[in-house]
Amino acid sequence: MAQASTRPSIQEPPRIPFWRDVRVLGVLGQITFIIVVFLAAQTILGNFAQNVGRLGEAQFICRDGSYNVRCAYDFMSSEAAFEISETIADFNVTDSYWFAFYMGILNTLKVAVIGIILTTLLGTFAGIARLSNNWLISNIVKWYIEIIRNTPLLIQLFFLYFSVILSLPPVAEAIRPFNFDIYLTQRGLSIPWPSLTPSFSTWLAFVVLGIIQFQVLWILLGRREEHTGHPSNRLGWGLLSFVVVLGMGWFVSVGASDNQGIMVTRASRIRELKDVESIVLTRTGVNHLDELNHLTEEELNAAAINICVLRDSPSEANLSSQLRQMNIPHTFNRSDRPDQATSKFAEGTCEIFAAPSTVLAAERATLENPDSNLILTVQEKPVVWNTPKREGLNIAGGAKLSPEFTALLVGLVVYTSAFIAEIVRAGILSVSKGQTEAARALGLNESQRLQLIILPQALRVIIPPLTSQYLNLTKNSSLAIAIGFPDLWSVSYTTINQSGRAIQLIIVVMLTYLTMSLITSAVLNWYNSRVALVER
Amino acid sequence: MATSTETLSRSTSPRIVFDFNQFIRDHVTASWYLTVWLLILSLLTVFYAVQQFRIAPVTTLIVTIVWIASLISVVVGELQHKHTKASRWLHQSLFGSISNSLITLLLALAILAALRGIWDYAVVRATFDPTITAPEFRTPVTGASWGVIWGARKLLTTGTLEPDNLWRVWASLWFIVGLSVISAFAYRPPLRERIKPLRYTLSTVWLLSPLILFILLAGLDGTGPFLSIQTLVMGEVVVLAIYGLLYWQRVVKFQWQSFAIWVFAWPALYLAWRLAARTELFPVINVEKWGGFLFTMIVSVFAIVASFPLGVALALGRRSTVRGIPAWITWPVAIGVTTWGLFTSTPGLLNEARNNIEKLIAFWPLLILLLTYAFQRFFKGNVVAAASTVYIEVVRGVPLITVLFMAIIMAPLFFPAGFQVKNAWAVLIAFSLFTAAYLAENVRGGLQSIPKGQYEAADAIGLNTLQKMRFIILPQALRAVIPAIVGLFIGVFKDSSLVAVVGLFDMLGITNAIIGNPQWLGLRTELYLFASIIYFIGSFAMSSYSRRLETRLGVGVR
Repeated sequence: MAQASTRPSIQEPPRIPFWRDVRVLGVLGQITFIIVVFLAAQTILGNFAQNVGRLGEAQFICRDGSYNVRCAYDFMSSEAAFEISETIADFNVTDSYWFAFYMGILNTLKVAVIGIILTTLLGTFAGIARLSNNWLISNIVKWYIEIIRNTPLLIQLFFLYFSVILSLPPVAEAIRPFNFDIYLTQRGLSIPWPSLTPSFSTWLAFVVLGIIQFQVLWILLGRREEHTGHPSNRLGWGLLSFVVVLGMGWFVSVGASDNQGIMVTRASRIRELKDVESIVLTRTGVNHLDELNHLTEEELNAAAINICVLRDSPSEANLSSQLRQMNIPHTFNRSDRPDQATSKFAEGTCEIFAAPSTVLAAERATLENPDSNLILTVQEKPVVWNTPKREGLNIAGGAKLSPEFTALLVGLVVYTSAFIAEIVRAGILSVSKGQTEAARALGLNESQRLQLIILPQALRVIIPPLTSQYLNLTKNSSLAIAIGFPDLWSVSYTTINQSGRAIQLIIVVMLTYLTMSLITSAVLNWYNSRVALVER
Repeated sequence: MATSTETLSRSTSPRIVFDFNQFIRDHVTASWYLTVWLLILSLLTVFYAVQQFRIAPVTTLIVTIVWIASLISVVVGELQHKHTKASRWLHQSLFGSISNSLITLLLALAILAALRGIWDYAVVRATFDPTITAPEFRTPVTGASWGVIWGARKLLTTGTLEPDNLWRVWASLWFIVGLSVISAFAYRPPLRERIKPLRYTLSTVWLLSPLILFILLAGLDGTGPFLSIQTLVMGEVVVLAIYGLLYWQRVVKFQWQSFAIWVFAWPALYLAWRLAARTELFPVINVEKWGGFLFTMIVSVFAIVASFPLGVALALGRRSTVRGIPAWITWPVAIGVTTWGLFTSTPGLLNEARNNIEKLIAFWPLLILLLTYAFQRFFKGNVVAAASTVYIEVVRGVPLITVLFMAIIMAPLFFPAGFQVKNAWAVLIAFSLFTAAYLAENVRGGLQSIPKGQYEAADAIGLNTLQKMRFIILPQALRAVIPAIVGLFIGVFKDSSLVAVVGLFDMLGITNAIIGNPQWLGLRTELYLFASIIYFIGSFAMSSYSRRLETRLGVGVR
């Protein structure tokens, strides 16, 4: 009877006792887990709260002088009182900590974005070169990759910064590779950089138009190609139309603009920009500008046209590029404010005052006898090539890369490129030879093979590890603090030292880095899901 | 038949069939950009060769002559359709085409120039005497002063560690080397079965080696909270609890010998610890004195070893498939807490709010609903998976350097008042916690590589979760991730240099300190190069080993 009662019936499966029910055990286990974590957190956070309490209420001081936890971040709005050696926007010591923090984020983003672009190029190049059939090339690249990958980034950065860049010659003996307008000195790197003038906005409209036209042509020609079966040079025609529109836009914006002007005295007999030529000729006593090359530097400096400009203004780059084309020696006298430049012009320190016409008109009105001065319009190009030039102990013009930025950028780019090279190499090798052969058998040419067969398959393998390399580069940019580049962490660390609010800052910094990482990986995951193999 | 082939080959081989126009058409004027490229390349090569010839005539001449000779041998081989072994290799790898041949010359000259520069700096103009490294002995033309490396060898190896304690470093080194050598023999297949007791002893010594190394390198304190009777009892309770769990889940079988080991291991260790502390043979070393290569090794080994348990736990946690807390529990609780928060805290905060951001913050209880949604949506209520995933992703999302700074700045805040935590310990622990997240991802990769059938088979024969993990999954998964863990170790070894930025004196930190010493002032390049070489040797050896291991373990090959 006992047996009969304990035997489970077929219809009703035996009830599992709750202490052996996986579902119950799972929930109970998790609740235990929560409790354990909670208790541990309570102990640690209890210590934490006590210690913060000992740090004093000063951590939470409000602007009205009272204390409240709500005011933990109030200090961030007060004056930072420290300098940041290089910023993208204007930063003064009187700006707030928040603004300093923002500058740090911008600097980190600057390094990360430029670094990612350059390292992708270098890494891809190295990865392809690694597969070269020239034994010498592939071995050089192999050892480049091995050496870079197997030494710490921090040592590379220190080496680049202290042993390479800071031991470059001073400005007076700047290195100019191949005599290009590139200046390598211990104060950093100066390179030519396009400078945008106000009329750029006009030209930009044409650029947009050109891009649209390129797209339209691309689509139309593609349709025709599909329709007739004749391959057409879509890229060639598209680019041609793009260039034509761009050129038209250039002439229109140069002709239509009257933004730039120069102010000269009536007595100078300059009635248009070309007239400065004769002035220089009479000063030097030569018959033709080409003969200026025979003169010594002192003679040229004595004859140079002296021009007053505002510091970092596009007018300077614009005028300078035109005068350089005309081979006219000139020097610039830079002022911070228009009225300073005007007074210099009035004193006769400079013969020409170059600035936007509106500024000139306003400034002329402030002069004692406005009518004795003329304002002439100068041709303005939408984009002017701003080249660096040595002036005494400084290098003026161009884009300046500070030693810290250069070291950090080059270090990160080189380091990450070694990893990317291996990724690219593996990606290309992952496409089986049969794919190339099959494509060739179909009659695709080399660019079609690369574009339609090899790359889409290789990218599938390349993208995921590439994403983590981009993230690594962004995170590694925090090593900037070791060489003194004011990135996000470096600025925050200064803030911590100055304000004594470690916790607040560390929370914000961590959140910022997390956000950056999450955004980057989200974008690249989206891209990855587009190129990924769609399986059944 | 033999004669006919002979005549055939004789009749074809000597005749040189070479159409010059055809060659030009194929290799030079095939397309306009090829022509332009060749033109630029040849101009560049000629200019560079002439420039190098002016600087160093003899070597340039030799390289050029070797190049021409190889080129001729390749061309002759091609024309006769008969290559020697050497000329075939040259043709395939260096003189494949016109541009390849030109690039070969260009690169050979460039490498030569670079080597000459390095040789000049590192040998010809260099000094090797440790006594003449001070700035006054250097002239603008002297190259490297390698003497600094011999002169600063004590600092580079062990930092500022007191000479009295140096024997302990040597002892640890010999301990590790000896143990490794004995193990290498004892674990060999033929010996493996014959000397079982030795193997068990070795395994035990390996298990205890972190402790032994700790005693040697950090020393023992006769007093302190770790030596109270409380520690003894608590430790015994933990050990027995683990044994109970394992026995309950039938991971260990009950045997009197093993039970005795479980019971007495902790008291024995405790006793040994106390006795060792009483002998005062191993006084406490100030960990701030650790430095140089010793500290680099301590950081990297500590980080990898200490992160291992947490890393494996996190990986298992992230993949845990425990049925989560059901939605009918979570949602009511979440909604209840949110409502309570909205009624008790929000009105007060709203009243005090000074700006719109603070008004927004006043509605913080709504965040609970958002988190609950994410928790249910992504983790299906699984707390363990959620906690592990969040830990791993947060740690992987922030840079190591900020974690290290945080450890130094914030570590004192997490301990009771008056408890001093040394920077070196804070950094070691932070580094391990950081590494654990990366290790977890590696282990997770290993767990994922185990085919589903293994899990299902383990379920089918009625193993419970612990048994499944212990006997089926982890042995396979951990073996599969050994190469990845070696890779991680390389990363940790390199990244250990970051502790220099937070002011500790590892290999790089001590290098920076040496540079500031008047005797060796500014000898950066030499020391950085030396440190790089050390790091390179370590990392390169390990990565070669890991590659060999990968082929031996057959990872990715089935």
